[in-house]
Amino acid sequence: MTLFARACRAILTLFVALLALGLVQVGLADEHRITGDDPGAFIVEDGKVDPDTYEGYLVYTRVCMSCHGPDGLGSSFAPNLIRAVEKRGWENFAGTIASGREVQPGQVMPSFADDPNVMGNIPKLYSYLRARGEGGLGRGRPDIIESMQEEDEQGDAEGGGDEEPDAEEAEAAEEANAE
Amino acid sequence: MLRETGYVIAAIGLMVASVAHANQNQLELQQNPEYWATQLGNYQGNRFSELDQINRDNVGELRSVWQFSTGVLRGHEGGPLYVGDGRLYIHTPFPNKVFALDLEDEGRVVWSYEPDQDSRVIPVMCCDTVNRGLAYADGRLFLGQADNTLIALDAESGELLWEVSNGDHTVGETNTMSPLVVGDKVLIGISGGEYGIRGHLTAYDVETGEQVWRGYSTGPDDEVLIDPDSTTMLGEPIGEADLGVSTWPEGEWERGGGAPWGWITYDPELDLVYYGTGNPGTWNPEQRTKDGEPADNKWAITVFARDPDDGSVKWVYQKVPFDEWDYDGVNENQLIDIEYEGEQRKGLAIIDRTGFGFLLDRETGELLVAEKFAPETNWADDYDMETGRPNVNEEYSTYRQGVNVNTTDICPTAMGAKNMQPSAYSPRTGLIYAGINRICMNYEPFEAEYVAGQPYVGATLTMMPAPTQNGGMEGRMGSFIAWDPVAGETVWEIDERFAVWSGALATAGDLAFYGTLEGHVKAVDIESGEELWRFKTPSGIIGNVNTFMHEGKQYVAVLSGVGGWAGIGLAAGLEEPEEGLGAVSAFSALGDYTKLGGVLTVFALPD
Repeated sequence: MTLFARACRAILTLFVALLALGLVQVGLADEHRITGDDPGAFIVEDGKVDPDTYEGYLVYTRVCMSCHGPDGLGSSFAPNLIRAVEKRGWENFAGTIASGREVQPGQVMPSFADDPNVMGNIPKLYSYLRARGEGGLGRGRPDIIESMQEEDEQGDAEGGGDEEPDAEEAEAAEEANAE
Repeated sequence: MLRETGYVIAAIGLMVASVAHANQNQLELQQNPEYWATQLGNYQGNRFSELDQINRDNVGELRSVWQFSTGVLRGHEGGPLYVGDGRLYIHTPFPNKVFALDLEDEGRVVWSYEPDQDSRVIPVMCCDTVNRGLAYADGRLFLGQADNTLIALDAESGELLWEVSNGDHTVGETNTMSPLVVGDKVLIGISGGEYGIRGHLTAYDVETGEQVWRGYSTGPDDEVLIDPDSTTMLGEPIGEADLGVSTWPEGEWERGGGAPWGWITYDPELDLVYYGTGNPGTWNPEQRTKDGEPADNKWAITVFARDPDDGSVKWVYQKVPFDEWDYDGVNENQLIDIEYEGEQRKGLAIIDRTGFGFLLDRETGELLVAEKFAPETNWADDYDMETGRPNVNEEYSTYRQGVNVNTTDICPTAMGAKNMQPSAYSPRTGLIYAGINRICMNYEPFEAEYVAGQPYVGATLTMMPAPTQNGGMEGRMGSFIAWDPVAGETVWEIDERFAVWSGALATAGDLAFYGTLEGHVKAVDIESGEELWRFKTPSGIIGNVNTFMHEGKQYVAVLSGVGGWAGIGLAAGLEEPEEGLGAVSAFSALGDYTKLGGVLTVFALPD
């Protein structure tokens, strides 16, 4: 391998590693992503999303929509959650879901502490709502990004989740090992 | 001073009357065309007034005489009562305040009452903390609180006379409906079909609040109060025992919903009360199959005719066996006397959730007419008039399409082609006037696990405007229609930008009234539907337009204050996913037109 090729390879490896750490936003017009281990990671690519963000959409629609309206947009009964997530951040978001909140007499958010379907999926809900805001994801049911579909199915078959950042990390590690 | 003396005389009069005819007071009041003594105007649910001082020649001059803010922000359903004592009695959503307002003194508060309720009831109410209003008889007002407490107040003073618990909000039971007084009993149902409750209608003694009977919507015959040998279905005895158990998979009837939360009507001559039951528990039809086959899930989505004295069931008609769309069957049963195939019949007409307009014989429960009033309706092609069952369209069967499959473009939406907004019927025209919804849905069932007090829904749904037909208004999501219940035909139709979620009123002044979600009260020519007058109230209208006469002057009054399921579903607007960006702007967001806030507006003609 020529020196030039080696250099290119090293730059690419660095880039992929940085990408995995969420330090680089890919500059394609229709792509937005926040990656890393912190809650709220998402990928939006041409209106399609990663499997966790998709799960977040499903949980939102099953549990949250009946009060907060379609697609996180709020209703006459409960506030817009896309803006709430932007303003309040992860800890406040997760805490409100777990503990509930009495905003004023007559306006009450229940606690979902006893609902495993909600409690186990708060990071995915957070990803979905961030994707709707920062990620520019549109209304309605998103599709899963094709290249991640299979991983998702494999992940489901193995009973594991969260393989998306792991896959990229593994890819970066593989590149590094090739040296 | 003179007026107060008048009140005392009126009060004495009422007391005398109550001694002489204790069980007829409500009937006498509603027969006086000057009063609006029950939420639907009369026992038959007609929402028709004989008053004609306000008519199509002068309605253009109608103006607001005063307004009153309730101080409550949630959706305001129901409307004011007027029983001839110079006051309007109104109620609010949670916290369910009650106000007696002086009609002659610009709504001065004569007294007010506010129950003390556990705020944890709020998030258990699936579609806003609405309440459909007060009932009145013999100087007492009755209110079903959100937390299932039924109370009686002294109408003169606002003092609490008695209270009784009709359910438990910690398991998801709540109340939104207006009670109905029939004779010496006050009847009330329950809400919570999305929480796996078991619905019931219960009668309490008006004097003491003591429970007299309770008829469940599901379960064994002795708890539903059915006798399979005498209770009829489509004119024949049911025959088989305990269908309320055997048409469910093991034990599912115990969380089988069938919540009767809509309106009750009553025929004083036949001495029968009529009401409909809600959806059969979880929205996932797969979980309600028996041995892998669709099961009827009786008696959800069923019209019940009961004897008000002991609750026994005279007849039943199940509008939707094995629901797959949440077509909650609670819509009001209008009792109308009509000519059908050359014969006078005692009819019962329904502008139903399903998009079908039904006509039944209310003595026997026989099905006479089932035709679509919402032409976009596609979940069923028609009804088999022999079996009374819908011919379901496989393409829109969420059961056939399967669990975790998104069945698309089903019409109407789960909100129904008409929801709780009560219709009106004019005996002069023979037509029903109703605000309707023109919205369709995608529906995806999923496996739901029952946890007491947690939502037990089991389907996700997204909504979109119904396709435009017959040159209808582009981007409209509702209409106000005149429906011929015998011919099964729409006579005229007014398209509206949003679902029409307010109760209608028909009058002998040749007018029909309704409210819009943007907040307009409109009066239209009852013959043609031509708009003759409108007034913009401060918030969207989901309440009912009522009318009455005091001291020779006719008034029209309505509660505005947007909310309810309409407010939740439409606040952000709907999207047509298949359309380009251009279509989105046509389907406007309700939030761009109106915000929360309860206000009573009272209208009259200038002096």
